[in-house]
Amino acid sequence: MPQVEYEKPLPLPSELSAPFWEACRRQELIVQRCQNCHAFRFPPAILCPECLSEATEWRKVSGKGKIFSFVVFHRVYHPGFQADLPYTVALIELEEGPRLVSNIVGCSPAEVTCDLPVEVVFEDVTPEVTLPKFRLRRQGNG
Amino acid sequence: MAPTLKDKYAIVGVGQSPIGEVPDLDSLSLLAVAMKTAIEDAGLTNKEIDGLITRGPDDVYTHHQSMGQILGVNPRFSASLASGGASQCAAVAMAAMAIEAGMCDTVVTGYGRNTWSRTRKRGTRQGSERGLRLPGEPQEFAPEFGLFGAAAMHAFGCRRHMHLYGTTKDQLGAIAVTFRRHATKNPLAQMREPITLDDYHRAKPIVEPYNMLDCSLNTDGAGAVVVTRAERARDLRQTPVSIMGFGQKNNLRGWFHDDNMVTLGGAESAAAAYRMGGIGPEDVDVAQIYDCFTYIVLVTLEDYGFCKKGEGGPFVASGALELDGALPANTSGGQLSEGHIEGMLQIVEAVHQLRRDHPPDRLAKDAEIAIVSGHGGNTVCHSTLILRRG
Repeated sequence: MPQVEYEKPLPLPSELSAPFWEACRRQELIVQRCQNCHAFRFPPAILCPECLSEATEWRKVSGKGKIFSFVVFHRVYHPGFQADLPYTVALIELEEGPRLVSNIVGCSPAEVTCDLPVEVVFEDVTPEVTLPKFRLRRQGNG
Repeated sequence: MAPTLKDKYAIVGVGQSPIGEVPDLDSLSLLAVAMKTAIEDAGLTNKEIDGLITRGPDDVYTHHQSMGQILGVNPRFSASLASGGASQCAAVAMAAMAIEAGMCDTVVTGYGRNTWSRTRKRGTRQGSERGLRLPGEPQEFAPEFGLFGAAAMHAFGCRRHMHLYGTTKDQLGAIAVTFRRHATKNPLAQMREPITLDDYHRAKPIVEPYNMLDCSLNTDGAGAVVVTRAERARDLRQTPVSIMGFGQKNNLRGWFHDDNMVTLGGAESAAAAYRMGGIGPEDVDVAQIYDCFTYIVLVTLEDYGFCKKGEGGPFVASGALELDGALPANTSGGQLSEGHIEGMLQIVEAVHQLRRDHPPDRLAKDAEIAIVSGHGGNTVCHSTLILRRG
């Protein structure tokens, strides 16, 4: 089967964020946690914005959360997304607290509302890159 | 009691460049025209300017240095701010603080941009639109999920507000329709065709919940003001406009943090400005509210205490923002219809309202006190100015 080229932008990890993306390849969602005050934080940073401690660990999180807010793109801002219009970009609030940007998959934009429960699913978009996306957590699927 | 800067400094001159589609001038030249006009409006010359504050460096590194060179000024105090649309009100406040500190006596400040022209030139669109990733644009946690641009970032807040408080598209549309009505009377405004609520609902969707008419314009243009001591202002050409109060609040932990997208830094910024001015929202006669997108107007009005949190929708739909309403707002058409110069024209318009420079059908009646809001950067910076006639 001929390989279809992936035309969307890929994340360009920094040294700080590299562990996050490596974990996604293992189908794990991990977030930084302060070893001093135990606050979770995202995006990755050198120190804890609550207590300024640099003592940090990466913790696997549940992958469950809710949709804090979302938008639906009708305009092409990048040619790679042309075929996806209209597509949903959501801000997910994880059970552990941090919020991160992702997409809602497996449903139409019309089914999405704020505060709906979601769970992570991992999408291998290239052999090297896996993106954490989210699907609605309906009764019966966990 | 701490010493206050209330009424110690005044705006004594305002100016603007041609606005809209001005393809023959770059952003520095536009700002130079606006600053020259403001200096002349005050009855001053460049030899009397010893303070210069600009907003940069979006396009030009060392922005204030470039402006000083063009204007022929070696200021005792000069700086460039980097708080996006919050920079302009903050710059007027900084002018007052710099004069108070003895750093300078007469400051010119302003902002210019050539966004209409820039976005039409080949190879100058956002990198993403050409499938590129440029330095300064997000590298992760956004583009891979298709998140691009200021409209989407603001739309997250709008959606959350709709969810929490039942805010509707009709209410957002009322803002766009009202400001357009103001622009129909402004011969310099970029968009002067009246629109109806039906037109609003039919506009092209951009990033839901926003359509084209929720979004401010791409504009070439510049605005500028001159600030000096109030006692000096009395001897100058124009009716002075006193700086009664100012404030700032910057939610630098991020738009996605806490409830920052439904309560802006505006709440604390306005509270500080009211405190300095010794007034409350009930004393404000005319408002110029930063309107990069419709929702920011609605939420700012709540944060400023013109209505309760969550009641911005019914407030704007009540006709309050009309010229004869409870709070005439964005009387020149705002950034949604006059032109988007990151809040700078809104300071200029507040001064025109208080000096009563316009024909009567464009004036908020007997306006003595104006409030101006600034909002921007990564949607987290906020600044407020309260101005008074005389």
